[in-house]
Amino acid sequence: MRKQHLDGILKSKIFWAIIAELAILIVCGILRPDFFRLKWIDQTGMWSGSLIDIINYSSEITIIAMGMSMVIALGGTDLSVGSLMAVSGAIALKLLRWDVVEFPTPGDFTVRPFALVILVPLVVCALMGAFNGTLISRFKMQPIIATLVLMVAGRGIAQITTNGKQFTTMFEPFRQIGLGGFIVPMPVIITIVVVTVMALFTRKTSFGMFVESVGINRNASRVSGLRSNRIIMIVYIITGFLAGISGLIYSSRISSCDSNNAGLNYEMDAILAVVIGGTSMTGGKFSLAGTVVGSLVIRTITTLVLFLGINPDAIMAIKAGIIAVVIVLQSEPVRRKMSELGKNRKQAIGGEARA
Amino acid sequence: MQDVILEMKQIEIQFPGVKALDKVDFTLNRGEVHALLGENGAGKSTLIKCLTGVHHMDAGTIMLDGKSITPTSPQAAMQMGISTVFQEVNLCPNLTVAENIFIGRQPMKFFQIDWDTINSRSTQLMDRMGMNIDVTRPLSSYSTAIQQMVSIARAVDVQAKVLILDEPTSSLDENEVKQLFKVVRDLKAEGLGIIFITHFLDQVFEISDRITVLRNGKLIGEHLIGDITKLELVTNMIGKDMNEIFNLKRAEQKPSAANVLKAENIGIPGKVEDISVELKNGELLGFAGLLGSGRTETAEMLFGVTRPLQGTVQVNGTDAKIRDPLDAINQKIAFCPEDRKRDGIIGDLSVRENIYLAVQAKRGFLHPMSRSEQMELARYYIDLLSIATPDTEKKVGELSGGNQQKVILARWMATKPDILILDEPTRGIDVGAKAEVQRLMLEMCEKDDMGIIFISSELDEIIRCSNRITIMRDGAKAGEVDGENCTQSDILSIIAGEQKGGTQA
Ligand SMILES: Nc1ncnc2c1ncn2[C@@H]1O[C@H](COP(=O)(O)OP(=O)(O)OP(=O)(O)O)[C@@H](O)[C@H]1O
Ligand SMILES: [Mg+2]
Repeated sequence: MRKQHLDGILKSKIFWAIIAELAILIVCGILRPDFFRLKWIDQTGMWSGSLIDIINYSSEITIIAMGMSMVIALGGTDLSVGSLMAVSGAIALKLLRWDVVEFPTPGDFTVRPFALVILVPLVVCALMGAFNGTLISRFKMQPIIATLVLMVAGRGIAQITTNGKQFTTMFEPFRQIGLGGFIVPMPVIITIVVVTVMALFTRKTSFGMFVESVGINRNASRVSGLRSNRIIMIVYIITGFLAGISGLIYSSRISSCDSNNAGLNYEMDAILAVVIGGTSMTGGKFSLAGTVVGSLVIRTITTLVLFLGINPDAIMAIKAGIIAVVIVLQSEPVRRKMSELGKNRKQAIGGEARA
Repeated sequence: MQDVILEMKQIEIQFPGVKALDKVDFTLNRGEVHALLGENGAGKSTLIKCLTGVHHMDAGTIMLDGKSITPTSPQAAMQMGISTVFQEVNLCPNLTVAENIFIGRQPMKFFQIDWDTINSRSTQLMDRMGMNIDVTRPLSSYSTAIQQMVSIARAVDVQAKVLILDEPTSSLDENEVKQLFKVVRDLKAEGLGIIFITHFLDQVFEISDRITVLRNGKLIGEHLIGDITKLELVTNMIGKDMNEIFNLKRAEQKPSAANVLKAENIGIPGKVEDISVELKNGELLGFAGLLGSGRTETAEMLFGVTRPLQGTVQVNGTDAKIRDPLDAINQKIAFCPEDRKRDGIIGDLSVRENIYLAVQAKRGFLHPMSRSEQMELARYYIDLLSIATPDTEKKVGELSGGNQQKVILARWMATKPDILILDEPTRGIDVGAKAEVQRLMLEMCEKDDMGIIFISSELDEIIRCSNRITIMRDGAKAGEVDGENCTQSDILSIIAGEQKGGTQA
């Protein structure tokens, strides 16, 4: 019984993702002896340190990757999330600085109540997710193509929203989203809330299983009474909404909007986080816990590259390399080889014992 | 023995929780048909998969033509001369029939695929199988039976020493089986060794020379065909005496029962037209007919899988709008589909999840069943249908074919329907389980007053269980007979169109 347990762990993908994360952390620790040190900062009332930074800066990816996990479980991909982040930031900033002529100070804000500054971008992003979902479920478009539409158009929409200007805000409540915090930075708190809500939503209801079922066999799911179109729709709406949250965090961090660079390549990182976390690109079972680890792995790699003093332009290449290794480690043939090795060793040990 | 072509010795393989094969020996001669029999989950397909390199066996040797071999994939096995038709049709639905037959071994001409040869050769092959179809249409446009014939055609076409047929006849009707057997006899005369797996004992006695029986992964015995009777064989297979399973009693029809389902003139022009179905509470209505006669299409219309373009459906006397399967489920209809791989199993989900899926779909995802309710449901049906699985969490895709079929049956029984539509529910399940399913059907009619529509290509099964039998031909209703006083030949003559069906009930 215990042996079987161990076997299961060795074969589970999340286990290898955690091993990878620990390995990279240890390398970081060797390079920077103070890497694991946490310091309490009195002025901000928060802990600070490299580990906190890693979690903090992985927030945007983790949040969109929660949606991406389900998108991928359905056998799809959502390329538009990065652009949706830009849209969300642009709308928020536009609402903050509606009338720049009359209110020239960035510390003020012009559309009241403040809740609108948060809600409108989120609703717009959710609607854009609904647009993706409609193309995919009703019009049976390939998810890659369908979401490419908003991936390209989204940044244009963001540009138009702000008339191509890059607004800045010093409005404190808004800046709190990305820069504030309570014991830990605010993005970490938001991430914890989002992850918890998503975990409860997918596993305490049957939604997670329905998503997996549709992703594994859409036909059979339909015959079994699942309305797959509705499920696909909900998943893309959630993903759009989550991209909106990430966009707010991002633009709050830079206290500004940036239609060209906000969320750039984040869709790739989110997809990678999901895959490293053990969810297969062919759809089916997904693991939100795995995705969280995957997102941390990606951010830790970035940190490592910065430590090594390598040109940040090379980050993409290095990430790709490490990720390739992780994915190969998780692949079916390698895992089978591993478990066969394990089996042989067990037999060998058994043989010795008998001898 | 003389002329041995294939010899497997002491084959062993262990899956998590099951020893699927335990020191199994198997030999095959040139020019013989060797039947491999056993209950669902006995290890038949697994033995085949070891032989063809799908699974890596833990121990044992395989000798082909006197040489030791270790195939690593079905392709490799094929190159060594082992051609296989797997239990689960393994073709690409989006490719044409011809492409499916030649995929992986396309003939080339001037560095290009030689389409003319592919298409003409495929037509020939399908002709040989007695199938006159357009090979340039996508495979998905044809029924399960034709798909099965296509995969057989594909296997037969390669130059092989050993041909393996894993339940090739599970969705074929009598004529097609006849065609297949003709081809098999030809191949046998050419000196091929043929391994034939099936749950139809009549077919075993018709075509095989030798029989090997497996039970729970162990070799039980090897017999020449003349040395054993059918009853002994069954006893060997299931390990207990099964006399009583052959005398089932049809459910008593209550004369006063009300119509639970009434469909009038439903149809989709060009496919099936003008079908009227009446089903009473507690009645078992059989659907007989050839493949492609419209039985499955009718069932799919009743369940909203496809939407009828004409006609009306009433459930319990009131008009029912059934736009998709969920609507049907809400009307307390259940439908166990014919093609379990396409419409049935969710392979990567567990047995438990597969069983409670339809019940949960009906409740909606916001009202989840508690874990203990799920477990209880799963355990109940695993027990009731004796589904061979080590636990509730095993992936359904890893169960044996017949056990997958039982899981789907369980999924639909669990919805506690008023109307149960079963499309070939006994496909691929062993003799014992088949009798058990039939017994359950009758019990549900009698005790729960359920109305059941039962589609099957096996006439004796239909006649044995049905109160009334609707016979379909060419997408229309050809006749209807009373289940109690009718014979196979009555039905066959209506199917053949020689006689208009008896009383219109
Ligand atoms: N890929 C797999 N992983 C784990 N267990 C498996 C796998 N394939 C088969 N098994 C198990 O091995 C046993 C034998 O299965 P097998 O498919 O050989 O049965 P079978 O004799 O072909 O039955 P059927 O008549 O239902 O097709 C079953 O208990 C099944 O659950
Ligand atoms: Mg089998």
